Amino acid sequence: MAVCTVYTTQSLNSTCSIYTPTKTHLGFHQRQVFFYSSSKRSSKQRSNSRPFVITCAGVGGDSQTVVIGLAADSGCGKSTFMRRLTSVFGGAAEPPKGGNPDSNTLISDTTTVICLDDYHSLDRTGRKEKGVTALDPTANDFDLMYEQVKALKQGIAVDKPIYNHVTGLLDPPEVIKPPKILVIEGLHPMYDPRVRDLLDFSIYLDISNEVKFAWKIQRDMAERGHSLESIKASIEARKPDFDAYIDPQKQYADAVIEVLPTQLIPDDNEGKVLRVRLIMKEGVKHFSPVYLFDEGSTISWIPCGRKLTCSYPGIKFSYGPDSYFAHEVSILEMDGQFDRLDELIYVESHLSNISTKFYGEVTQQMLKHSDFPGSNNGTGLFQTIVGLKIRDLYEQLTSSKAAAPVEATKA
Amino acid sequence: MATMAGVNLSTPRVLAKIADSPKAQPIKSPWLNNPWKRPTQITYGRIYMQPLRAAPDSISEKVVESIKNAEEACEGDPASGECVAAWDEVEELSAAASHARDKKKDSDPLENYCKDNPETDECRTYED
Repeated sequence: MAVCTVYTTQSLNSTCSIYTPTKTHLGFHQRQVFFYSSSKRSSKQRSNSRPFVITCAGVGGDSQTVVIGLAADSGCGKSTFMRRLTSVFGGAAEPPKGGNPDSNTLISDTTTVICLDDYHSLDRTGRKEKGVTALDPTANDFDLMYEQVKALKQGIAVDKPIYNHVTGLLDPPEVIKPPKILVIEGLHPMYDPRVRDLLDFSIYLDISNEVKFAWKIQRDMAERGHSLESIKASIEARKPDFDAYIDPQKQYADAVIEVLPTQLIPDDNEGKVLRVRLIMKEGVKHFSPVYLFDEGSTISWIPCGRKLTCSYPGIKFSYGPDSYFAHEVSILEMDGQFDRLDELIYVESHLSNISTKFYGEVTQQMLKHSDFPGSNNGTGLFQTIVGLKIRDLYEQLTSSKAAAPVEATKA
Repeated sequence: MATMAGVNLSTPRVLAKIADSPKAQPIKSPWLNNPWKRPTQITYGRIYMQPLRAAPDSISEKVVESIKNAEEACEGDPASGECVAAWDEVEELSAAASHARDKKKDSDPLENYCKDNPETDECRTYED
């Protein structure tokens, strides 16, 4: 075996050990470890020259960066979810210091969140000329997305383009260093099969049409120029592309958060009270679904009663096994909203497998961000829980990696 | 010059922002320099001032313009690529405007300064 001198630049886990092959279905299919030396960054966009890459073929291995995909339509709560997620991982995520003020990237000690709009191949004018939306795959460069996510997963820094949402132009690229956890969020994280295979975990936020409409009214009605008609027209015009290219990705997600109008109030369409379903795929390595009372049973639970008093319209939970796009799943559902702290802590104490590190961690996280949208309902609750599950998955993945070289020496 | 609407002065963050901005209109308030003594019950009416950064306003202009363009583009054929792309642009700009509003809410010049310079006089905190 050749001895390679390795300078991993940024990875906090930097290591040049050679791992035993870990076979998972999560996409660790690389049979190579990429070593590179001394270059500060592999500053190639659409690279055709890889600086100092030595390929040690035949050595099974995987990389240091855990990659998470989050898919949702524009205006469906990706940013809020990202803030909850990075908060669970610890430390606030902020835009890169001293960079482009319109950068879409968020960086914390452990996590880097990149926005997949940065991989638009057509800018705003280009899309206008061709008559295509940003939802259309032809407006996006999946080859570059795949190359760069793969490089980051292997511990190699990349020069990622920046799509400027204000000007609608592609700005000069920014350097992204490989983080411990990389989150790719946007319209198409699970669209391209190559990118999908790089994901260690994937989430889809599935917002029903009624709720989407209500949320966009909330977001846009104060904005000059907007009216109910313009909000409706925009949703309707984008719907065919959304249905064709975005919605089908949910079948690949390990967890789906579905947001629907409540069933507690008959004919409610205000979109204030929500019914939220957390759909969790079974058999995903390092991810064991949350359950209520008895794993695998079907349960309907109204916590409000003698022990806990709730205000109208109350809270209703249900849990049970189901199937989703022919996958075996567990579904946990919450309808209604929390009005008081003791309701939330009561609910938390009855959920199992939520991967908290101490009693009340979910409640603590929800309280910490009580100003975020959804902090009193199932969207905030399930986003927080998914964050905890991803933290758990990350810890399992990294500890199994640390264990691998030891096993190798034994063998 | 457009004015920035909807600034609620009951939050200490905005107070600090005004104290920091040379363009702000003069506001006589004993709490400006003692935000921690600010009574919580008092709410101000809306006070209009010059924006610190023009970006969010220019986005607002763009949203207005994009809606007009979309309505025009769809007059002929509402299913045309031109029409759909125009409404997609409206969505993109509306989302950007919303993010800009959130950013503005979060960005407090004094707090940002104190994050990097906690030892300076301006950044001292006092217990009552």
